[in-house]
Amino acid sequence: MKNNIIKLSLFSLILFLSGCNLDEIENPNAPTVGSFGSGSSQADVQLLAVGLEAIMRNDLAFHYDTVSILGREYYDLTGVDPRYTQELLKGPLDNNGFLTTRAYAAWYKVVQSANVLINAVENSSAGFTDEVKNSYYGYAKTLKAYALLMVANRQFTNGIRLEVEDLNNLGPFVSYTEALDGIMTLLNEANTDLANATDDFDFPISSGFDGFNTTATYSQFNRAIAARTALYQGNNTMVLSLLGSSFLDLNGDLFDGPAHIFGLTGNDIQNTQFHVPGQSGQEFMILDGWIADAEPGDTRVTEKSFLLPGGTTFDDLSAQYQIAVYDSNVDPVYLIRNEELILIYAEANIGTNNSESVNAINVVRNAAGLGNYAGDQNDPDALLDEVLNQRRYSLLAEGHRWIDLRRLNRLNASNISLDRPGDNVIDAFPTPFTENQ
Amino acid sequence: MNNTFSLKLLLFSFLFIPLLTLGQQVTGKVMDGTTNLPLGGVTVIVKGTTTGTNTDFDGNFSLQVDSFPATLVFSSLGFETYEERLTEPRVLNVTMQESKTALDEIVITGLASTTKRSNSANAVASVSAEELTGVTVQSGLDGALYGKFNGAEIKANSGAPGGGISMRLRGVTSIFGDQQPLFVVDGVYVDNSTIGLGNNVVSLASGGGNTSTNQDDASNRIADIDPDDIESIEILKGASAAAIYGSRAAGGVVIIKTKRGKQGKPVVQFSQVVGFRSPTQLLGIRDYTEQQIIDLGGPANAVLRDYEAELFDNTRVSSTTRFSTSGAKENTDYFFGVTHRDEPGLVDNTGYRKSSVRLNIGQKFNEWLDLYVTSNYINSKSDRGFFNNGNANRTVGYALAFTYPWEDLSPVNGVYPQGGAGSNVLETVAITTNREEVNRFIGSATSNIQILSESNNRLKLVLEGGFDQYTLRTTSIFPRSLSYFSDPASLGGVSISGTTINTNYNLSAFLVHNLDLDNGLSFTTQVGSFYQNFDRNTVTTVATGLNGSQTNLGQSTNVSTSQVIRPQEDTGFFVQEEINWNDKIIGTIGIRGDKSTNNGDANKMYYYPKANLAVNLQNFDFWKVDEISYLKPRIAYGESGRFSNFNDRFTLMNAQFIGGQSGLSPGNLSGNADIGPERQSELEYGIDFGLFDRRLNFEVSFYNKKIDDLLIRSQVPTSSGFTTRVVNGGELENKGIELALNATVMEKEDFTWNASFKWWKNKSEVTRLDVPSFTTGGFAASLGTFLIQEGQSATQIVGTFDPSAYTAEQIAALDPEGDGFFVYGNAEPDFQMTWFNQISYKNFDFSFLWHWKKGGDNINLSTLLYDLAGTTWDYNDFGLDPSGQLSNGDYRASQAFVNPDPVIEDAGYLKLREIGIFYNLPNGLIKYADKIRVGISGRNLINIFDYNSYDPEVSNFGNNVLANNVEVTPYPLSKFVNLHLNVTF
Repeated sequence: MKNNIIKLSLFSLILFLSGCNLDEIENPNAPTVGSFGSGSSQADVQLLAVGLEAIMRNDLAFHYDTVSILGREYYDLTGVDPRYTQELLKGPLDNNGFLTTRAYAAWYKVVQSANVLINAVENSSAGFTDEVKNSYYGYAKTLKAYALLMVANRQFTNGIRLEVEDLNNLGPFVSYTEALDGIMTLLNEANTDLANATDDFDFPISSGFDGFNTTATYSQFNRAIAARTALYQGNNTMVLSLLGSSFLDLNGDLFDGPAHIFGLTGNDIQNTQFHVPGQSGQEFMILDGWIADAEPGDTRVTEKSFLLPGGTTFDDLSAQYQIAVYDSNVDPVYLIRNEELILIYAEANIGTNNSESVNAINVVRNAAGLGNYAGDQNDPDALLDEVLNQRRYSLLAEGHRWIDLRRLNRLNASNISLDRPGDNVIDAFPTPFTENQ
Repeated sequence: MNNTFSLKLLLFSFLFIPLLTLGQQVTGKVMDGTTNLPLGGVTVIVKGTTTGTNTDFDGNFSLQVDSFPATLVFSSLGFETYEERLTEPRVLNVTMQESKTALDEIVITGLASTTKRSNSANAVASVSAEELTGVTVQSGLDGALYGKFNGAEIKANSGAPGGGISMRLRGVTSIFGDQQPLFVVDGVYVDNSTIGLGNNVVSLASGGGNTSTNQDDASNRIADIDPDDIESIEILKGASAAAIYGSRAAGGVVIIKTKRGKQGKPVVQFSQVVGFRSPTQLLGIRDYTEQQIIDLGGPANAVLRDYEAELFDNTRVSSTTRFSTSGAKENTDYFFGVTHRDEPGLVDNTGYRKSSVRLNIGQKFNEWLDLYVTSNYINSKSDRGFFNNGNANRTVGYALAFTYPWEDLSPVNGVYPQGGAGSNVLETVAITTNREEVNRFIGSATSNIQILSESNNRLKLVLEGGFDQYTLRTTSIFPRSLSYFSDPASLGGVSISGTTINTNYNLSAFLVHNLDLDNGLSFTTQVGSFYQNFDRNTVTTVATGLNGSQTNLGQSTNVSTSQVIRPQEDTGFFVQEEINWNDKIIGTIGIRGDKSTNNGDANKMYYYPKANLAVNLQNFDFWKVDEISYLKPRIAYGESGRFSNFNDRFTLMNAQFIGGQSGLSPGNLSGNADIGPERQSELEYGIDFGLFDRRLNFEVSFYNKKIDDLLIRSQVPTSSGFTTRVVNGGELENKGIELALNATVMEKEDFTWNASFKWWKNKSEVTRLDVPSFTTGGFAASLGTFLIQEGQSATQIVGTFDPSAYTAEQIAALDPEGDGFFVYGNAEPDFQMTWFNQISYKNFDFSFLWHWKKGGDNINLSTLLYDLAGTTWDYNDFGLDPSGQLSNGDYRASQAFVNPDPVIEDAGYLKLREIGIFYNLPNGLIKYADKIRVGISGRNLINIFDYNSYDPEVSNFGNNVLANNVEVTPYPLSKFVNLHLNVTF
């Protein structure tokens, strides 16, 4: 009997031990997204605002490299990943391959970050006034619209989603035209928010936005993006009206504009579009045609290219000049800059105010060390050719050539150099496999 | 006699035997025949009755015997059962001999119980010290297990010194989870993590299509355990046996017992091994024609320099020094072992150095209390070299592919030229560092408290605690003087320092109750609870822009730091009942309950039941077949699980930094708060039988293992900002056969020959998938990848194809789903087989182990890289192109990124894993030394395969992934020839 008591009490003691409760473990590595859903403090919200600006730079090179290569501005002849000379030049593009998905995901990461910020501000416990809240909204919505515009231009006729707040209830895919309309609406909303906001933002913005870091000056950036959108919509009257509220300055610095800045410290990231001149493994090569087609004395050619001794050949493609748009791994990448605005202004004036168009063209030509435009000043087609040509040299590798050729119906073999048998013209990225379309 | 009656009798005897001295007393003493010391705990029973007792600590017993003549049966686990017939009461002194047959060895069946192998319902694999390290010296525990038991697929990730092995028991057990088994050393849950060095900042391996961070060729931590310390290893291969380890056992469990002192004169052993390491094979350089050299940009009349041979064709001398002493006297036993190993690698400035010290002490305080303490300290350093994938042509392997033999890479006035490959291989080998340093302590304490110790009613409390802590320091130094850092706009030198501190401890308490009834039934009941705590903390600091030739983190322009913490706590209980009827029928049922902070709900209990049955037909009276010594059908069922990763349930924010300001942005993984463990259930059945007085022993097992609630990293629409979400969504099945034959071929006085064959085969199938089919592993479909698809093997390798090369009918036949993929191969071997022989003739011992893996494919991207550069060893050969037009190199290059078929290769092999011949010097040759043994042995001396690279054993992505068979320019494997001297004092 005594034995049984001992046994029973020991057995139950041991079972009792296993009944102990475990405490849930908070993740010690990082805060969760859910923790910003309600009751965020001012400091929390500020972190999200800074994070939004920072995240825009992630995987930026995947976007610029892919659209620049599709537009035959430069080739990736490093041989490190031959998909850059096979899939990207020949097609069809893999709808689950990184050439398609990585930049797509990166732009939508910006959209998501903006949505998280807007939601955090709406539900914060920081006691923000409406004016302070509007400063956040105007800031976030403008960058969200910018990201949607970038992804819409990639996907083109395949369309994009505009409403993506809820993973389990994503909005429908809309056409390119509808996407541009939605983006314009969002930009206008943002501009209204900025107009009804405090003078200064409630959060730090990097030096990349120097000159655009008050709600009033940031609005000029917003209007510049709206002008670009209107240009894609083909509405020149609207373009000119929007440019009037933007930071367009015919006499200003061509490189005036907000930019992504880079750094090497801590979690900061580098400008991976910089390629060390003359080093093997860094053969991002401008197409020889860009050099050959340039007018003599164009300083943009010498500024943006580096003659690689002996040139390089890979996968039956060869080229002589390395791309040198960026001078270091911390050189800024512009979101939009004055030179583009001047050329948008020139383009929008064609047919209605040709002399103003020529005037603007000459600003860009003269800055490049070229004489004034010598073609027919009253032939809209000639003027458009000239604007397009200036855009080819002024905005090299800044993500425009492919889109410009496409919107002007010139995306064809006479402008896209098909250097090998099997190379093709590709006009849009496929909808990623994961979208279940 | 019915049960009630026997129970009454039992009670009766308890109460009245002390009063009624009807019977007569037999007393005596039991001795251990090996050590000639008293043997306690031996069961003494009067045959045919339930009357019995146990010997006390001094080996003494006394027993009432009712009538004579009577036969007394002496039995103890690990000893041959002894019987003696008595015609009258007398003093009986017995000497028991250690059991020699494998059937009497003990195997683990519960968390605190063991049984004889002959009573086990599972095919539990075990490896003895003799098999583990008796043939040749091993670098680490991981490598020592090759081919030693069936049901496993073990492979080295590369030839880099310091280990790195992946091990799968009975097939693929997860798609995204850790496939590796749980390692338990003397009751301690030993960490087997693989922790990357953070070299991605230089190698850029995760640029482009693959964002994995596991391409650093890091070693896994089980390599720290010194195989020379090990007494025995048991492998629980599937849930039917491993259910006792519950939610950590889905990959199987490897239970390791280290050596313990034995009664007798102290044994002092010293051994010295000198080894010679050389490459298993070299690939050579392409037999260029003059024109080909010129086409590739080389000079006329080029002088070719074989950089491969310069890097790898070295013979290195390694040394292993081992000292151990052990013994036991009266109540105390001890084992002390020290090993020091120094193994330079094939490549200059690489190598492995390890020191391990072990002290195991046992103390018996009195008849009811003992304590056994083990402690092990390990210090190791491995310089692993810079290999595997990269996207900047900077790893040695990658750059070698693009290095042309007419280049001169030798330094000029101390300065290395940059070379055309993106980096200079000679420079990388000479001045970069990739080092792992480990300081580790593993300790355990076990105490048995005997609460009841009657002859047929025993109860003990087992308390066990274990502790495993290590500090891993990883150091990667890429000095500023590297030619690719010469440009001021480059990273300017990189120094990476990582520190991981891992602390695990586990506590458990068990009650084990044995009850023997007089009708031949005996019950072993155990109940226990346990608590385990795991904490891993990794801090990695990357410094770039080094000041001049400095490598200190502080001497740099930019520093960034990251930290990963992985905490986990588990607790639960375990109950098991084992019923044995006269060793005729043995059945067990048990259940384990687990909860863990790693589950979505930390306090939800997950249950893992088990049940099994074995029947020893030869023990029944009706068994009359003398040729068949034993015949045991058996069946076992069990369940086990696997946790999701710690982070799977969290949607985390990532740290951002811009312009001096910190920020946060949402991560890519959408957390799933409801995530639960994967659940495995396994049914194993088989039959064991022995022929001709156990000269031939057969073991046949079949299993069917299902893994449900598979953890799947499902892709979510990226427009949500997320890319993945982990869900429980699928089922995987493994079916397999394992055959083993152990034969005593010859047994004469001065000649014995034992041989064992093992043969096994596994087939996996994804039986249910709740998400669409998806690809995983490798780099891209055009380079070969795995496709997880319902109804197909989990390890099928698929890829894109060139539609212009096939007719529509052919495509329809080869790609019935129309998903754009052809199936090109399967990573799973057709079967594996080993053949182990041990031959002793007079003073000579000769052993060898062959290992044949038939089939199983690899994705060999090394060849492809060489082809793209035009440097492949077989570039000018013909045979691959079906049309016969193109040379091998031209053909593979022409198919690159379209048709991966040429790079998906049969990775089967036949290897002479181990061979050794030893000579025991005649006794008394040297004074003071009891025994001197000299010998020569080898590892991987013969390697036969039809695979177009260094070795089919390779993994660019380390061990924890499904696709552990992708090759990208690895560190080549080595073979060893070792000279041995062992002296026993």
